[in-house]
Amino acid sequence: MIKKLLIANRGEIVPRIIKACRELGIATIAVYSEADKNAFYLEQADEAYLIGPANPLKSYLNIDAIIEAAKKSGADAVHPGYGFLSENAAFAAAVTANGMTWVGPAPAVLKSIESKCYCRELATQVDVPVVPGTVKPVQDPDEIRRFGFQFGFPIILKLDKGGGGKGIEIISAQGQGQVKQAFERLSRIGQLAFASSDCYIEVKVNKPRHIEIQFIADDYGNIVCLGERECSIQRRYQKIIEESPSAVVTENDRENLYQYTARLIQAMHYQGAGTVEYLRSDAGKYYFMEVNARLQVEHPVTEYVTGLDIVKWQLQIASGGQLELKQSDIQLNGHAVEARVYAEDPVTFFPSPGRITKLRFPSMDDGRLRIDHALDEGGVVPPYYDPLLAKVIAWGTSRSESIQRLKDGLAGFVIEGVKTTIPVNLDIISNAKFLAGTFDTSFIEEMQKK
Amino acid sequence: MEKAVNAHMPGLVARVVVNEGAKVTQGQEVAVINCMKNELSVLSPYDGTVKKIMVAEWDEVEVDMPMIILECE
Repeated sequence: MIKKLLIANRGEIVPRIIKACRELGIATIAVYSEADKNAFYLEQADEAYLIGPANPLKSYLNIDAIIEAAKKSGADAVHPGYGFLSENAAFAAAVTANGMTWVGPAPAVLKSIESKCYCRELATQVDVPVVPGTVKPVQDPDEIRRFGFQFGFPIILKLDKGGGGKGIEIISAQGQGQVKQAFERLSRIGQLAFASSDCYIEVKVNKPRHIEIQFIADDYGNIVCLGERECSIQRRYQKIIEESPSAVVTENDRENLYQYTARLIQAMHYQGAGTVEYLRSDAGKYYFMEVNARLQVEHPVTEYVTGLDIVKWQLQIASGGQLELKQSDIQLNGHAVEARVYAEDPVTFFPSPGRITKLRFPSMDDGRLRIDHALDEGGVVPPYYDPLLAKVIAWGTSRSESIQRLKDGLAGFVIEGVKTTIPVNLDIISNAKFLAGTFDTSFIEEMQKK
Repeated sequence: MEKAVNAHMPGLVARVVVNEGAKVTQGQEVAVINCMKNELSVLSPYDGTVKKIMVAEWDEVEVDMPMIILECE
């Protein structure tokens, strides 16, 4: 078993991982940049190491500095959290090359699945439907135009190694004359941000809903799926409300998605926890989109409905443990919903860093509300990183009950000193379409028009 | 007379889009600040000529910190 774990991340995920480690008797090492030197969670860790200045390129994205801290501290394993270096094959390889355990899929697996085209090809081979489009990268604007004429516009041009909502160009029927410019612009972004200019085409799925399957796989070929999460409420391709189970996924759909996921993950020789993202069209068809080879921000939603601790399972599997769960052991109990609270203006979504002047948490005594956060009164929300302030997760026996609990929780959550998206979170979960479960990924855009 | 273009938000300098000696007009984008992973344009409040660039890419900036010095008429 892992004895001493370095957590290569910042913010709310650090205390989340520390909690799991404490329960398993694992010592923890935190790392921090100069901007985070007063973060409260550093005191929860057994040791904490400064890894560089505020600039994430020189701290949380600095492989050499993190490896050095790991060696100095005597850590025998590294948990990368989410974001930053969590899906970076070179970092995973550096961790293992230095004799430490990487909590996540093997570096070679990470390297392969960086390529969306590789994943699409593999999915096709194991009979998992992918969003219609090209499987191999496109070579020139003419190929894109030909595809558009054959399958119809609009089409979406995506970077093979893109992510986080970056590297997407939508080409409408009116924009056909702009194909060359769009292709060149995307190739340039790809080269700069992801060191690969390859792109491929997908057709635009009509009124898509974002449905993802959480899974855990071990080194011995065992895999279980832990239900779905619906994450259709997004802005700028970033999730804001997530729930499980989805209001739209049927038993039969779930069974099919589990089979797709198991086939794909086994073909990838993937081990650890992860998520497979699918799009659901308004015709009820599901298409594989991508694999997230890490712990997801929204994992607590799944933990509430399954009663499992995903971080503990990650640590057990990384330690060589066997998955002692069978699919039949997984019961989805009740409904859970999460709101991401961002440090942003609730109307314009303009960022709002600053100092927290007042902080009050709602009551969590009933066990039906969980808040994962890295906030403290008087603490600073730095401008250098992601605007996520806190995740508020509620559970209920039914969807309406958990939504009501989330409303109460958000209404009783006081954060002053920075602007937060709590008002917009409340608007969303009070919206008739949201309550009826009849929405798609354009929900926020539509809501803002009104 | 010299006038400064100050940062309107804290963050990291994503890039400076003008060179020393360049003529700028009021409302023109002269730099970009990365604040919480958002790219925010810094617009020149004045017409003028870029005299001195005070920041480099990836420097940390605070609100009201001078980024660019303009020579204005």
